[in-house]
Amino acid sequence: MRFRTLSLLLAGLVLPLALACSGSSSSSSAVAPSPATSLSYSDPSGTGWRLVKDASSTGTRIVLDLVGPSGTKTRGVGFNLQASPKVKFGVFANGLPINDTGVYKLLSAAADPTEPVAIIGGVKTGNLLSVGIYQKDRVQPAQDSGSPLCQIAIVLDPAQGISAGDALQLQVVKAKATPEDIGAVSDDLWTLNKKMRMADITVATGSLSAN
Amino acid sequence: MHRPPLRHVTALALGLVMGSVPMAARTAPILTRAQQAHQASFQPTRVAQARATLISQKSQLGLGSRDGFATLSAFTNDQGQAVVRLNQTYDGYRVWGTQAIAHVLPDGAVETLTGGLKAGIDLQAGPRLSGQQAIEAALRNLAPQGPMPDAPAVERVVFPASYLGGLATTMDPKTGRPVLDRKLTVHAKLAAPYVWAYEVRVSIHNAQDGAHELVYLIDGTTGNILRVNDLAQHLAAPTPVQGTGNGYYRGAVTLNTSQMADGTYALYDTTRGTLPNPNLQYFTPDGSGWSATGLQVWWEQHSPSGVSTWNSYLFQSNPANTWGDGQPWAPSWGLENGANGQTAGVDAMSAMTTTWDFYKNVFGRNGLDGQGTSVFAQVLSTGPVNIDDAWWSIGGQGVYLGAGSYPTNPSGRLSMTDLDIVAHELTHGVTSPSYAQAWVSGAGYEEAGLNEATSDFFAQMVKAYTTRPTGADSAIPNTGADWEEGAGVNRGTPIRWLDHPSKDQRSVDGWFDGIQYMDGHYSSGPLNRALYFLAQGSSSAQGDDHYSPFLPSGMTGIGNDSAARIWYKTVTENLLADGTGSITYADARAAAITSADSLYGAGSPEEAAVESAFAAANVGEAPGQAPRVLVQFANWRNGDYIETNHFTAYGNRQIFPMGETVFPRISVLNTADTSVTWSLGGPSMYNGADYSVEEGGVINADGSWTTPDRMSWHSITATSHADPNQLAEGRVFLINLDTDMDLEQDAVDMAGVAYSWYLSNALNPAHSVLEAPWVDDTDVSFFVDAMRSTWPVK
Repeated sequence: MRFRTLSLLLAGLVLPLALACSGSSSSSSAVAPSPATSLSYSDPSGTGWRLVKDASSTGTRIVLDLVGPSGTKTRGVGFNLQASPKVKFGVFANGLPINDTGVYKLLSAAADPTEPVAIIGGVKTGNLLSVGIYQKDRVQPAQDSGSPLCQIAIVLDPAQGISAGDALQLQVVKAKATPEDIGAVSDDLWTLNKKMRMADITVATGSLSAN
Repeated sequence: MHRPPLRHVTALALGLVMGSVPMAARTAPILTRAQQAHQASFQPTRVAQARATLISQKSQLGLGSRDGFATLSAFTNDQGQAVVRLNQTYDGYRVWGTQAIAHVLPDGAVETLTGGLKAGIDLQAGPRLSGQQAIEAALRNLAPQGPMPDAPAVERVVFPASYLGGLATTMDPKTGRPVLDRKLTVHAKLAAPYVWAYEVRVSIHNAQDGAHELVYLIDGTTGNILRVNDLAQHLAAPTPVQGTGNGYYRGAVTLNTSQMADGTYALYDTTRGTLPNPNLQYFTPDGSGWSATGLQVWWEQHSPSGVSTWNSYLFQSNPANTWGDGQPWAPSWGLENGANGQTAGVDAMSAMTTTWDFYKNVFGRNGLDGQGTSVFAQVLSTGPVNIDDAWWSIGGQGVYLGAGSYPTNPSGRLSMTDLDIVAHELTHGVTSPSYAQAWVSGAGYEEAGLNEATSDFFAQMVKAYTTRPTGADSAIPNTGADWEEGAGVNRGTPIRWLDHPSKDQRSVDGWFDGIQYMDGHYSSGPLNRALYFLAQGSSSAQGDDHYSPFLPSGMTGIGNDSAARIWYKTVTENLLADGTGSITYADARAAAITSADSLYGAGSPEEAAVESAFAAANVGEAPGQAPRVLVQFANWRNGDYIETNHFTAYGNRQIFPMGETVFPRISVLNTADTSVTWSLGGPSMYNGADYSVEEGGVINADGSWTTPDRMSWHSITATSHADPNQLAEGRVFLINLDTDMDLEQDAVDMAGVAYSWYLSNALNPAHSVLEAPWVDDTDVSFFVDAMRSTWPVK
């Protein structure tokens, strides 16, 4: 397994180097890289928590779905995603950089359509996206995490001088999910206090590149 | 708390119903006293007409079959018009915070001011709680420590969610830090825009609890507190005879007193006041001839060491009907009824009768409340009032006047019984004659400044009135006012300068956005100055006390009498007083223009003078003047959840995380240069009232603000580069987003809010972004707000 990983990495390095050599052989001066016109994203492997490309993506706007392990029930999830400063995060119709896919029940059982819902996101210094979506009603059951729980979007920003072929950083640096069991209000306080905790999770990202 | 429909009183809210002439600008002559009396005889009919007119307008106003109107008060003005204030009702119950004013003219036309009404109420069933349970809920919150002899009063009402109270902070005496005020903070959540509720009125005066007149609004279903107002506003037939008084302030005066059944005399004037005083009527007549009807002066009893016994007594049992020694209070505690104590009583009685007669003779007003209700003064107070302060009690219809702490306290004041002090407090009785018709007084509302300035101004008019020529009782002389409030009690240094308010180093001379955060006694400055300018004019010489940078060319005054008549008409006829604190300086200007038009005609010099005087106080423009630069924390919420469901007054307030770098919002209008200089704190920080607000953090070179690591209300101020005279002070609430306590504030922290949502048993207080022992939609909405404001997606 370890050797296989190494060989894949080497293969990835060889191709760009070969291309560079090819270019230099035909001219005495360096050729300016061509500006990127689109983004591409390869999904990560595995069945755990991961960001996968949504079908609604376009060439300049990659929509990523957060998907969890099937069978694991949660009540909400939040994560911080560090991205290359050469891309921007997109907003959805709700004005936020996170979109609700309808799995989590954001409204309370009272279903007051005017109540504030616990979905939020923002971009902190250094192009760190921070988003979260949560059920806030303890009466609502936890939801299976195996389908898209929320969406984020990454947008090509021509103003950032991004070049075709650039590999773009994308890494979830912190992520937590609200577990199914957060205790019942009738639990003794010690038990309840212990259960009312977020669980650390690891979210895999695929590879993002410019074309 | 400002309600948009009231902003343009003339343009939007005054509508002619039965006639066809635009009434807002219709001039009517002042009638003779006999003519006024004739017109007043029609008042009952016109009150009914006013109500009928509003009922006929219901569909136009968006009201339904269950809506109605109940008369609150009525009087006939000196133009012969019946001025009727009405509350909106729903199924016969008062809709809290609603008020309409109707002018019924002698020719039958009716003008209505309806901006304070509420459409769309749809309530089913009734309240689940009883009135007694509502009282119990209020008392649980108040938790009185001392005696409370007066039973709370309760009234079933409809409560609009838009009047919910907000976050209040107070100073923790142990740490000296601002903390959430658990008693006055309202976190109720209303699922509907209107709910059945109870108004519980609690009057409490004792050593343990201090002096308060609290109005609680209790949810009729949940028992939650929806709002708390403290309306305390500081500062047998005997024979009528005349006595001799020796006052300290008034000198030798003739007093209206009474000879009682035992032949002795009392500071009790039965010639003024026709209805009993609501506070005194609980005392049992003792056979001396005393009753609760008539002006009277009481004194507060103290132990020899000066500690109040919380008992008070009428000045009485005087065998000679000569009162006072003309000397300031010694103080001789335990001997308050002696000649030296009587001196304070003489000054108070003289000031009371002078003020009463001023309103009667100049404006034809029957007593302070317009109904003839008797009024009392209590002098030498230390218990229910600060020793160096004075206080008007709406519920008690009386004025409590401090004994003054000087000379025991070398920097203290003398007895608070000088004419301007008493007239100021009694004028609160004119503008706030009842709980249902009252202006607010504390910090948090522009209305508070209007309230205090109105009392300051009419106190000056009373002073001028004392210099009137013999026989000229219906006019106010143009001289005789020194435009200084409290110089006598403050041993020569005025407490306020009406003509140049900022001389006290706390008040402001001009209006600015954020003035509502100041204590009303200091936010009074612009109106005090405007009314001075209206009466006496302003200077065009820079550096002159009467120069205004907002009106460099200066203006000519219209005289005390005309200015007073315009302002009296404004406050008694053209401004709502519904206890919600909704009246702004802009409202006051518009209403004053309406009054000037009515008295002197549209386009009259008086109307132009009103516009110029307000312009000189940075409210609106003078005729021909271009709009000035306006810096404002605009209402950017646009009816979002925070504004509509919790805190109406938070439209222009901002919420940020603590310990982060943020960019506060600001709006600069009427200039191409919209840049500002930010500074920490603001004028409200220096007026001795809003001590629970902090200034802190660092303003960075790029205009951003690194917020301090403290959860609290903070004050920040933006000053225009284009016009440094224009500034705005705003309020920012800093909250702690780090509910998972990993020393990073991010969206992941929202989880703690979510899974603690609506847990109210103090399980996870750290999960409240407000550090409250519960988590609800306030936390959710504040979290979202702070995050979006601080880390927007670019």
